[in-house]
Amino acid sequence: MFLTRSEYDRGVNTFSPEGRLFQVEYAMEAIKLGSTTVGITTPEGVVLAVEKRVPSPLLESSSIEKIMEIDSHIGTAMSGLTADARTMVEHARVTSQMHAFTYDEKIGVESCTQAVCDLALRFGESVEDDDALMSRPFGVALLIAGIDEKGPQLYHTDPSGTFVRYDAKAIGSGSDAAQQSLQDAFHKQMTLLEAHSLALKVLKQVMEEKLDENNVQLAQVTKAQGFEILGENDLKAVIDTLGTA
Amino acid sequence: MNSVLTHIQPSSTHSRLEEQDEFEHTDSAAWGSMAGFGNLSRTGGIAGMSVPRVANPTAFLDMHTDNMSSNPEAKIKIAHGTTTLAFKFQGGVIVAVDSRATAGSYVASGTVKKVIEINKFLLGTMAGGAADCQYWETYLGMQCRLHELRNKERISVAAASKILSNIVYQYKGMGLSMGTMVCGWDKTGPQIFYVDDDGQRLKGNLFSVGSGSTFAYGVLDQGYRWDLTDEEAQELGRRSIIAAGHRDAYSGNTCNLYHVKENGWDFIGNYDVNELWYEYEAKKKADRETATAATAPSPMAVEP
Amino acid sequence: MALYHNPPMAYAQEPTTAPIEHRFNPYSDNGGSILAIAGSDFSVIAGDTRQSEGYNIQTRYARKVWQLTDKAVLATNGFAADGNNFVKKVKQRLEWYEHAHHKPMGLKSIARMIQTMLYGKRFFPYYVYNILGGIEEDGTGAVYSFDPVGSYEREACRAAGAAQSLIQPFLDNQIYFKNQQPEPGSQPFIPGNLPLGTVLSLVVDSFTSATERHIEVGDGMEIYVVMKKGRSTDDLLGDKGLASGMTIEELPSLGESISEGEGGERTFLVRQALKRD
Repeated sequence: MFLTRSEYDRGVNTFSPEGRLFQVEYAMEAIKLGSTTVGITTPEGVVLAVEKRVPSPLLESSSIEKIMEIDSHIGTAMSGLTADARTMVEHARVTSQMHAFTYDEKIGVESCTQAVCDLALRFGESVEDDDALMSRPFGVALLIAGIDEKGPQLYHTDPSGTFVRYDAKAIGSGSDAAQQSLQDAFHKQMTLLEAHSLALKVLKQVMEEKLDENNVQLAQVTKAQGFEILGENDLKAVIDTLGTA
Repeated sequence: MNSVLTHIQPSSTHSRLEEQDEFEHTDSAAWGSMAGFGNLSRTGGIAGMSVPRVANPTAFLDMHTDNMSSNPEAKIKIAHGTTTLAFKFQGGVIVAVDSRATAGSYVASGTVKKVIEINKFLLGTMAGGAADCQYWETYLGMQCRLHELRNKERISVAAASKILSNIVYQYKGMGLSMGTMVCGWDKTGPQIFYVDDDGQRLKGNLFSVGSGSTFAYGVLDQGYRWDLTDEEAQELGRRSIIAAGHRDAYSGNTCNLYHVKENGWDFIGNYDVNELWYEYEAKKKADRETATAATAPSPMAVEP
Repeated sequence: MALYHNPPMAYAQEPTTAPIEHRFNPYSDNGGSILAIAGSDFSVIAGDTRQSEGYNIQTRYARKVWQLTDKAVLATNGFAADGNNFVKKVKQRLEWYEHAHHKPMGLKSIARMIQTMLYGKRFFPYYVYNILGGIEEDGTGAVYSFDPVGSYEREACRAAGAAQSLIQPFLDNQIYFKNQQPEPGSQPFIPGNLPLGTVLSLVVDSFTSATERHIEVGDGMEIYVVMKKGRSTDDLLGDKGLASGMTIEELPSLGESISEGEGGERTFLVRQALKRD
């Protein structure tokens, strides 16, 4: 079995006889090494939370960037090979701006997610004479959160270019346990504040270190304010509510 | 990948001679899940500008459009003619423009928005080809927003105006027609850059562009001081446009006035050129009467 | 594109001893006129149907006004071949958009897209003046007018084409109330609030008058009326009912994704004959 497998996992565009693309599957494994990332949808907006692993006290934790703005109404959180996400976020930003330029309206959250996934599948041999070729699948998964005329939405994308919509989703190393906790605690009528503390509570459960304002990042997308990463004070306030609860 | 040039440069020069069918230049993603962005390439650059398959495309354009004003009789009339001005002073930047667009001697519109709101902190003015200014300044807005997302910092007026001048320089000689002032407030304070179709880019305190600019300069220069109050400055901008709208047949209808301050621009108002002119005249007359009334009982006065 | 696999060489590079035609003139002016007027919750887009070249009438029925979506109608004027081709491409883009984004394109988005499409041919312009009319996302009637290379503006009314200079001053006076004074003591004029019946008769008068004084205008006219949700045909007819010689037909909804029961925007096509001399 192992031998068979190793023969079909060299080329990124070679199917195994069982119909699998091993390189894509390995890329999915890379995400499970990444830090835990959580997203929760509420009627008021979407919340994103990530764990920032700070391996050394000498590391400047504010330089770790795992939640990024795509446009004023869409944000994303990542897990896995975060360097790959930069390419995807750049593509999402450019696509969103081109949409706004061409149609004088904000891009839909689903359309933006679709654009990212189009890019995710463009690895392997050159099909057309593209300026940028990608030799391997992206090793990163994204949670894309946003608000458009269809309301608050949360999408999960993976290296295979598949995207699915979730009410609440956890990815990364602690995702199995985190997803279970989300499933137990999530309800449709959650307030934004409840979502803030649920997101951090879930992270707290799966994190090895003690959760504080330096090793997590919290962001939200609301109708009124759009995308924003919570500042240190706001974040501290949410963390404080966790301690008492 | 993030360099501005790769994003804004038009397609390579060798392809200018061939007719560019849009299907040749946009990839399958263009009409796939994103439904395409017309002449934008995947990286946000300009890709599919079609050019006629003739030896000299510029001469072709000149023959059929009144764009380069060497051929006012051409069939395709492109909206033209303008007075625009902008100046810096102690309280920020004043931007004032008229609202008339002419095609030949026909007044194509009297309600043109010649101030283009690039974003909350940047304004661009429109003189020359209306479409050139509108299109490229909207495109500039998109590049400024991308700069903001990539660098987590607002773009400077200098950088924004340079993006614009780099774009038009790429098309130099191909018949673009624009004279614009990019105005805004950045870390360095209020700024104005003049950018035109031959790629010229100038920093300055005071500019006026368009067929009515000479008339506007006349009023502007005699009333301009750095320490003008906000109200005085707004009135100077407005008065200059009224004067130009009155004397230049290609300018007129209404005046749009903007004031750029530290926290972004404010739209001050829209004023009818004709009505304001007569208001000014009436005020002049009233002032004259009070002045003569004050000096009237002179013993040296000659009897009528 | 198979047709373009071997692109023909640029004319200047072709070695030849024959005299070379240097003037490449792909444009012609096919006359006619179009106009559009926006009301508070409706929009009227109209055009005549004569197509001519010089003093030769090519056809008495050529369409210049096109229904794009349930909320948008586009009128084109200038060079008919360019106009027809442009409309075809706009419709193609609308279809692509609907497939990609699972919704019909809104009016202001169509307006912006038309700008980018026109500007894409900045160096080889479409010789077309476009007027786009319809219902905006907020339910208001809107008119957008374009120059051949894509500068555009939202207005309350606009005329274009051969009789532009005959019709526009009339509309300025009747729609914008230019050079009119309200009677002492009466309400001030508010542009863009005229009832549909009044607007329709203004459109008819514009075209019958232009037909009298312009040789390139006449034969027939097509008036598209886009009405906001909930308005009925009675509004269209007014008190006097249908004028003689007028026919009216309701166009079927184009939107596949719109639920039928609720009833969306309605588009009517009103036709009337114009003088044919």
